[in-house]
Amino acid sequence: MKVTDLKELLIRSLDKEDDAETIAGKLEEAGVTFRFSGGFREKILDRIYSSESSTFHEIEFVRGLNFVFYRIAVAGVAAIVVLLLTLFIVQDSFSLNSILGMGNSYDETIFCLLTGN
Amino acid sequence: MIKGSYRQKSEDELVKATLDGDKLAFGEIVTRYQNMVARTVKSMLGDSVFSEDIGQEVFIKLFYALSDFRGEAKLSTYIQKIAVNLTLNEIKRRKRFFSMFSQKGNNEMYEFEVADHETEEKKEASELVGKALMNLDPKFRIIVTMRMLHGYSTKETAELLGIPLGTVLSRLSRAQQQLKDILRKI
Repeated sequence: MKVTDLKELLIRSLDKEDDAETIAGKLEEAGVTFRFSGGFREKILDRIYSSESSTFHEIEFVRGLNFVFYRIAVAGVAAIVVLLLTLFIVQDSFSLNSILGMGNSYDETIFCLLTGN
Repeated sequence: MIKGSYRQKSEDELVKATLDGDKLAFGEIVTRYQNMVARTVKSMLGDSVFSEDIGQEVFIKLFYALSDFRGEAKLSTYIQKIAVNLTLNEIKRRKRFFSMFSQKGNNEMYEFEVADHETEEKKEASELVGKALMNLDPKFRIIVTMRMLHGYSTKETAELLGIPLGTVLSRLSRAQQQLKDILRKI
């Protein structure tokens, strides 16, 4: 198709009354086509199905991590409870001083202890 | 299942098989609609590796959205909508990032090169159309692409783009005027 004919066809394709489908067909016949490069299909399938298997591994890893975290959290909470109970038995209270290990000491005693006087 | 047998399958069968994990069924969907997507993406963004990436994104997005596909519209319409949305998003993104660096003067034209084609005449035809489209305002370009390259009616174009029919008609006549000016310069 000559360039002038092609230009005319392009302008006509936008006429509201004209059959757009027929003109699109004529343009395709004239060679107006846009295509992706070779191996396009394979690239997509590789991206989808390889990412699917990596997603599966990621999910498995997160599940494992959650399981380990759960175990550690339970053991941690148990240790804290035992510690608090021991503290209560030894110091006879749950005050901040007893938690910090200063249950029976006074500020002056600490001052003397630190300065050596 | 042998590859050839997928060609006989209907859209619904291919969708169902893909959802059941059949890789080749989805491959057949890509084969059937890749040229349609290429027409939308490349005519809007130019013939470059970026267009190939957007084309791949279209099918990847389709794959993950297939479970939501109810079959009320044709699969081709569904794919076309994804292609249009991703392409328009890419144009917006490019506009945001590159507008401050653009050196294009008022009389300068964007070029459009086609990598390879069957004959030199066909290559020239594609380049002429591509160049004309690339120099159109993007809001006209999408309507021209839908009508000129896909052959959609004005009603179908309005439905696909989610805009009123009146807007399509007015943009179409303004696009025609702009296209005439561009073709005169080429």
